[in-house]
Amino acid sequence: MPPAAEPSPHGAALTWAGCWRGARAILAVLPPVFVFGVAFGIAARGHGLEGWIAALMSALVFAGASQFAALDLWTKPIPWLPLLVATFAINARHILLGASLRALCRGLPAWKVYGSMTLLSDLNWAALIAAERRGERDLGYLVGAGALMWLTWVTASVIGAVAGGLTLDDVKTYALDLVLVTFFATTLVGLRRGRIDDLPWLVAGLAAMGAVWFLPPNWHVLAGGLAGGIAGLVRDEMTRS
Amino acid sequence: MSTVDALLIIFAMTLITYATRAGGIFLVGFVPMSARVEAFLRYLAGSVLVAIVVPATVRGGAAAYVAVAVAVVGTLVLRKALPAIALGILAAALWRAYMG
Repeated sequence: MPPAAEPSPHGAALTWAGCWRGARAILAVLPPVFVFGVAFGIAARGHGLEGWIAALMSALVFAGASQFAALDLWTKPIPWLPLLVATFAINARHILLGASLRALCRGLPAWKVYGSMTLLSDLNWAALIAAERRGERDLGYLVGAGALMWLTWVTASVIGAVAGGLTLDDVKTYALDLVLVTFFATTLVGLRRGRIDDLPWLVAGLAAMGAVWFLPPNWHVLAGGLAGGIAGLVRDEMTRS
Repeated sequence: MSTVDALLIIFAMTLITYATRAGGIFLVGFVPMSARVEAFLRYLAGSVLVAIVVPATVRGGAAAYVAVAVAVVGTLVLRKALPAIALGILAAALWRAYMG
């Protein structure tokens, strides 16, 4: 049986109350965001960036993995093509995240939608998707959570750039590097609707690993997400006919 | 690396990253809404998460398997994500301290 598309009864919204709910929901995952932000600040100084440049990058780009990748390409002459390709490849997963929020954006004015998307990130997206399953219909959830993450990320980058001393090994000692993956894993538990998700998710996992092994770095989220989505769609078509 | 170069890089990265953030909702606007598209987007959400979790777990090695397994079982048993994550992290830290 195909999953019923649930039309939202009240339409989409973007309210302060939604922002507040999102901000509260994201509190627990702020510590690793903070730690990675500090680590970025330290790494940036290590690669010769001035502190304010590192802070500016965190404030404007607000995408940790691609910021770390840029540090490795921080050389003269600037390797423009690898830099731009890496930035796109690492962040291309946002396209899928944004697409999946369609129902939550329906009916909102464009400036609200595109304004909210400035804060779109894996963590607040996952929190919103999980909340949507429990009836959340407010895009503010994404904005509130994202704003808090942004504040944490920028503050931590500044602290790291100024202070220093911590290394990624320290983070590993306390297993803080695994907070994000466990957060995503628990989100997945809440998201599972039942057997209907088994095949798409299996395909997604296999495709993601295949991409890790056979594609250039950083395409695995895009490859796995698309493969899983298509697998679910194809399976529905075949069971229907 | 001059300051101008650095600012240029940050500016370019900002543009590209925002394009990916806005691109999803922009592109999906061209697709006519149907039950099929809705279903696809729902499969997509879960699949993206799987595609984040699985490679990250494999790359993380034994400690990551421990953390994810404990967190998932913890979520199923406790019905609450946060204590489950804490348990998973604790288990992984212990694993690294004594087994790793």
